[in-house]
Amino acid sequence: MSIESILVIGGGLAGFTVAQNLRARGYAGALSIIDPAGIPYDRPPLSKAYLLGQKDTAGIALAPAEWYAEHRVELIRGTVRKLDTEYLGVELADGRRVHADRLVLATGGSPRPLPIPGGDLETVLALRNKEDADVLREKTTPGMRLVIVGAGLIGAEVASSARTLGAEVTLIDPVDPPLVPAVGQALARRLHAMHLDAGITLVHGTPVDISKTTHGHSLILDDGRSIDCDEVLVGIGIVPNTALAQAAGLETENGMLVDENQRTSNPLIYAVGDMARTRNPDGSLERRGEHWEYAMNTGATAAAAILEQELPVHGASWFWSDRHGTHVEGVGDMNGVGATVLRLAGEDPIAAFHLAEDGRMLGAASIDGGLTIRAARRIIDRGIIVPPESLADPGIALKKLAR
Amino acid sequence: MREGTGLPAVDLGTTEMLEPGTALLIPTETSGYQEDIGLFRAETGSYYALDDECPHEVASLSEGWIEGEEIECPLHSSRFCLPDGRVLCLPAVRDARTHRIEVREDRVLLYPGTAATRT
Repeated sequence: MSIESILVIGGGLAGFTVAQNLRARGYAGALSIIDPAGIPYDRPPLSKAYLLGQKDTAGIALAPAEWYAEHRVELIRGTVRKLDTEYLGVELADGRRVHADRLVLATGGSPRPLPIPGGDLETVLALRNKEDADVLREKTTPGMRLVIVGAGLIGAEVASSARTLGAEVTLIDPVDPPLVPAVGQALARRLHAMHLDAGITLVHGTPVDISKTTHGHSLILDDGRSIDCDEVLVGIGIVPNTALAQAAGLETENGMLVDENQRTSNPLIYAVGDMARTRNPDGSLERRGEHWEYAMNTGATAAAAILEQELPVHGASWFWSDRHGTHVEGVGDMNGVGATVLRLAGEDPIAAFHLAEDGRMLGAASIDGGLTIRAARRIIDRGIIVPPESLADPGIALKKLAR
Repeated sequence: MREGTGLPAVDLGTTEMLEPGTALLIPTETSGYQEDIGLFRAETGSYYALDDECPHEVASLSEGWIEGEEIECPLHSSRFCLPDGRVLCLPAVRDARTHRIEVREDRVLLYPGTAATRT
């Protein structure tokens, strides 16, 4: 039976990519994206250019409004309240029902709440969508005191942006330095120190309580310290939005379980992006990929799989982060068994390469590394063996080693 | 046709001026154009020119990665087609502006402000 209609539930990067790739691959049937937010937009700028007011709503759109008309992609503004696997469709909060021959779940994630007293206060901020960013920007005025819990990518980027906006920023993390799993010890240490240089107060600790005060909030840490501030932002990761799928009886386990085609336990329903989790043929589960590129890659895979075309090949996973005027990138895995080679500029580590015992590169990270990570990516994907001494030598462009 | 009038051709150098797979920033002082222009020699050996600044965010495409006839931005990895400036993947959503390049005998001529035409 030919596919005459496809419905994408969720208009983030993953959902948008599914639609874009379906059209690029020649799918001519009906195609809709349901999302409460309307026109799909890109989230990375929410903690940076959008928060700083350098980009507006139009500036973060994943495609201009006319693209949807040109490509006959219908945007349905609404919230899905039920996924119906019999009818094969959804029911919206306003009672509308939408059916399609194939469904793609791209419902993303929600900010993980801090599991402590006060962690669920409505006044505790998070940053996940444009509305969150609007609220944060309105509150981030010169001199306001902002406490950020969690110094991962979002926490660090918001800290940098809020500082630029003139806020007094305190960044709390139980780990010192944070981000070691993503970039390795040396780069993580250097990145964390940049916060200090920017005038951000770093606190090594774990909040155990948040309460409202007359003018703002108060946090208590596990060592008894208390911190008063105006606003608290929590950035400790996301939980996948799988409630709809679970209620419909699809298999989930900290994510919507999918195979290599991004297909769920129902062969007519696919899942992509932050909320999807790959189950390998042997039953083992991969970690959920929560990065930007993963959303795009899984979207591209689902589109190909739905149309029964050859699946695209994706290389080692890649991420970036921009803060304090520096650009951080990482690719692959910095944590497997192996050894790390550092490249220094003077005394500062500018790149770290993680090598397996047989010399293959497993992962790499850099700070303002230009094409270093792009080259590392090729080295990893093609299994090129590069001598560690060349990797360590800042006089050798990695690009030369990758060709 | 693009808006604006193209500027007179600028002789950039010989066809051996760049190795295949490399690029060069052509500053406004050289081109007379209001923006920096990136000159790219694709791996195929052909020369192309685009506005140097990535249509996504502030980044110099001439510092990017050339693969075949594509340029990948060094910052967020958006790719553009060198011959026609078409954006090939996110996060950029707009095409890059092209400038016409003509190879006359062994000279590389840049027509700042004149769009490339596909041959």
